[in-house]
Formats: sequence, C-alpha cells, structure tokens
Amino acid sequence: MSHPHDLTPPEAEKFDPKHAGSLPKNLLLAGAAGILLSLIGLAVPSWREQFAFSWLFAFFFFFSICIGCLFWTCLHHASDSDWSVLVRRQLENVASLIPYFVLFFLPILACTSYLFKWWDLAPGADPLLDAKQGYLNHTFFYVRAAFYFSLLTLIALSLKKRSIAQDKDGSVSHSLMMRKLGVGGIPAVAIGITFSGIDWLMGLDFHWFSTMWGVYLFAGAAGSSMSLLVIIVSALKRRGYLSVVNEEHFHTMGKYMLAFSIFWAYIGFSQYMLIWYANIPEETIYFRIRNTGGWWYLSTLLVVGRFFLPFPVLLMQATKKAPQYLCAIAFWIIGMQLLDMYVIVLPALHETGLSPSLLDIFPLIGMGGILGWLFFRNLGKSYLFPTRDPRLAASLKLTN
Amino acid sequence: MAQYQKVYGLGAEFNDAAALMAAAEKLRDAGFKNWDVHSPFPVHGMDAAMGLGKSWLSAPVLIGGAAGTLTAVLLTFIPSWGIYPLIVHGKPYDWRTVPAFFPIMFELTVLFASFTTVFALMIFSQLPKWYHPVFNWERFKRVTDNGFFVVIEARDPKFSETKTRELLESIGGKHVTLIHD
Repeated sequence: MSHPHDLTPPEAEKFDPKHAGSLPKNLLLAGAAGILLSLIGLAVPSWREQFAFSWLFAFFFFFSICIGCLFWTCLHHASDSDWSVLVRRQLENVASLIPYFVLFFLPILACTSYLFKWWDLAPGADPLLDAKQGYLNHTFFYVRAAFYFSLLTLIALSLKKRSIAQDKDGSVSHSLMMRKLGVGGIPAVAIGITFSGIDWLMGLDFHWFSTMWGVYLFAGAAGSSMSLLVIIVSALKRRGYLSVVNEEHFHTMGKYMLAFSIFWAYIGFSQYMLIWYANIPEETIYFRIRNTGGWWYLSTLLVVGRFFLPFPVLLMQATKKAPQYLCAIAFWIIGMQLLDMYVIVLPALHETGLSPSLLDIFPLIGMGGILGWLFFRNLGKSYLFPTRDPRLAASLKLTN
Repeated sequence: MAQYQKVYGLGAEFNDAAALMAAAEKLRDAGFKNWDVHSPFPVHGMDAAMGLGKSWLSAPVLIGGAAGTLTAVLLTFIPSWGIYPLIVHGKPYDWRTVPAFFPIMFELTVLFASFTTVFALMIFSQLPKWYHPVFNWERFKRVTDNGFFVVIEARDPKFSETKTRELLESIGGKHVTLIHD
C-alpha cells in the first residue's frame, strides 16, 4: 500500500510569459478596442439604450464565471478536498479578477435609467413599485452594489494571498485560515450572486419575480466556471505545464460539469414549471417574451444545448477522462452560459423578438480581452499549483 | 472409509490490509483469475490491486433509467393525450402539456435506475447466497473482526495444490489451508 510520503514532491512550476507569445498583448489590444467601440455606443444618445443592455449582458457573463471560480475555491477549502489542490491556483487566479468588475460596473451605473424601468418612476406611479420601495430605491441599490464587490473582493483576495504565502513558508496555519474563509465564503458567494442577480437582472422588469433566480444563476455560474477551469488546465498541459494533472483530475472536473448540467436543468425547469403552472400574468411575461419571435429559437437552443446535448456525452466515463473531448464540451458549456445571459438580458430590451446588434459583441470582446490580459499577468506571478499545500500528495495520487 | 470431499480452493491469512494489498498485486501479476480477497472493511485501491478493471454496473443502470423514462412517457401521454384527454387547469392536453409530466419522467427514471442498481449489483455479486465453502474453514470466521484472507479457487486454470500453496506462503500468507466444498 503506497503512502503519501512515498511520493517525491513535484517541482514547483512557474509560467513563463514567453510561452503565451503575443496572446496577452493581442488580448489587451482587442480588449481596449472593444471597450472603446462600446463606449461610442454610450456616447451616441440613440445607441445608448442598446449599449446599456449589451454591456450588462457581457458584464454579467464574465462576472458569473469569476464568481463561480470563487465558489469552487471556497468549496474546496470548506470541504477540505484533496483532489483540487493541483488545479486550485487557476481558480484563485480567475476569482482574483473580481475587483476589476468595479470598473466594468461604471457604465451600468451611467445607464441605470435605461436598464431599470423602476429607476425613474416617481412614488405613487406604480403600486407594485411602491410595495417594493424598501428594496428598490437608489441609495440601497448603490449600497448593495458596493457591498457585493467589497465582500467578494475581500474573500477572493484573502484566499489568494494566503495560498501564495503558503507557497513560501509551507505553514499549515494558512490552510486552517483558508478553511475558515472558505466556510464563510460559501454564504458570501450565495448572497453575492443571488442579490446581484436580483438587482441587475431581475430588476430589468421590476414586476417580475422568481424565488429560484439566485439558484438558477448559481447553477449556470458553477458549471461554466468549472468548464473554464478545464480549458485553462488543458491549455497549460498542452504547453508542457502541470504534467502532474492526470486523467483522474479531468474525470473529477468532468463529473462536476455533468452534475452542474443536470443541476442547471433541474433548477431551470423548476422555475419554468412553477410559473407555467400557476399562470400568473406578471410571472409568465418573462417566458412569454422569451418565446416571442426569434427568441423562441434561442430559448430552445439553450434548453437543448445546456442540458440535452452535454448530458449523454458527459455521462460516459471515457469523455470525462479525455482532456481534448472534455475541453470541447467545456467550450460548448461556456458558449451556452453566454447564450443564457443573452436570453436573460436582451429580451428585456427587444420584447418583440430577436434583434442582434454589433453593440452586443463589442463589450464582450472588450471585457473578455481585458480580463484575459489581466489573467495572463497574474498567471506568471505565482506557481502554477500550490506547491506546499499539505494535501498536495493526496491530490497527486487521486483515484476516482 | 475416507469420504471423498471436493476441494474448493486454498485460503491464506495475512496480517493487515497493506499485506493483503501487496499479496493481491502479486497474485494479479501471477495471472490468477478465480480468486478473491476478504477483509473486515473495504480497502481503498483493492480493485486496482486485484486488476478488476471497470465495473459493468453502469450498463444495466443506463438501461433501467431509460426504461423508467419510457414508462413515464407512456404512462402520462397515453391517458392525457390519447385515451382520456382532459383539460386540467386550462392547460393543453396534447404534447404541449409535457412540462407537467417532466417530474414524473424524472422520478421514474431515478426509481427504475436505482432499483436496477440494487438488483444488478446483487446478481453481479451472486447474492443472496445461503452457503459458501469458505465458511468450512474455522479461521475464516475472523473475517468480520480482524482477519485478512485470500482464497484462490481450485477451478482457476493456474491452481495447483502444491505450487499455489508455496506461492501463498512465499508472499507472506499464514495458515495456508485447503478448503473443501
């Protein structure tokens, strides 16, 4: 029987920025161009409304993936997981991008009166808004946004700081502290994604409400951030890094992708069925709009593509153990998360049917490019896996 | 008059789980097929040490689950769409009423899949079994307490009463005993 101490600890690996080639630079250029082109939309008054919705769509897509990575980091510490040690640093790298979303949030703040119908309504104009006055008012909106960003930033950065400090001194006290942060981080992530989703997405139509909204967003975020992890880890492996990550780790990540495909469908369907069955006009309006005109095709594609296609493929063990297949499905799932956000945000503007705009693409390229560039900057600054984590040996000899 | 007794196999006792695991690896490499290890608790990694490979349980479970889904589809659609269409709650009664039936499809899939898991596992493990020759060996009763055993069956093509005994002793087996049926 092999014991953990029989294994030779692997060499610490550091990412050489040369291996990324001109990719970070190109990402920065594309990002800057995307942001500038989107800001033209903000500057021209007749495009401003379209810009606001397109920006929010891209913003929440990236925000949900980063918050999902924070969730996985917290979960791994809270549950004292062994398997994830080798891939955890990449989750920490993505989660530590959360503070930059404060900058990306500024255009949303500039466009609140376009995005949120309740923003400019005077008291007494709508009895439904008056009933929600305690929550839907300007001051509390700002306070909440500040609260989400500071809470999530605090947890993401403290977890990363501790993890990197452990690379240097190898002290177990960091693990114990990270466990506490992880246990506290899970409810913080839950509050962060639920209420930011309520404020920024459900708030697009203040008449509409769904108690499953937060869980629905969480399910999509967790599944797509695990997919992003698969992509990052296999890309690093292709460049010759992280050779210690083997098919067992991919198998585990694939299982989580499968689990969250099922969970997304379960929550999405539960939300749909309760609204469909109860048939209350202010609730059904959400699905009514998303079944109008071209939106119907996208909604159907989402249901099929986010669940019915990945489910049977991920069910097979062989797919989960083959990084190249798993990577393809991971790209697909992230694409579906993008579609999900599109179908959530844009129909609130184009209620009569699908109406694509160039402005839908620019914020996506802009934020994606900048975030990708920031990710590469972080990647080379620390080791590619927590080199002195006490559970490293257990992660190396993972068997499913 | 000596009574004829059929030989079931050779049993050997080992000190602990680690010794059992090492012995299993050696027997696997020696090419034995009809043999098993017995321990008071599950030993992690033993399936690899024994060279058991991937379990085939998933195949019947998939079939069971698919049968469950199909049963639910037929059970819901035949009455509501075919033989007894009824407007309930202002909802349509043709295929468009499918959201109401998804929970039934889900539940029956889970139910059929889990029943198939239990019963297929019992068939795979040849359970329930009222008699097993290993219990003719007095020492084997410690298997539920602190005994770790390997039993190689006589029907294994590589089995030899003398050579297998030597092999078991050489890999650290104690109290190597011939078990009769």
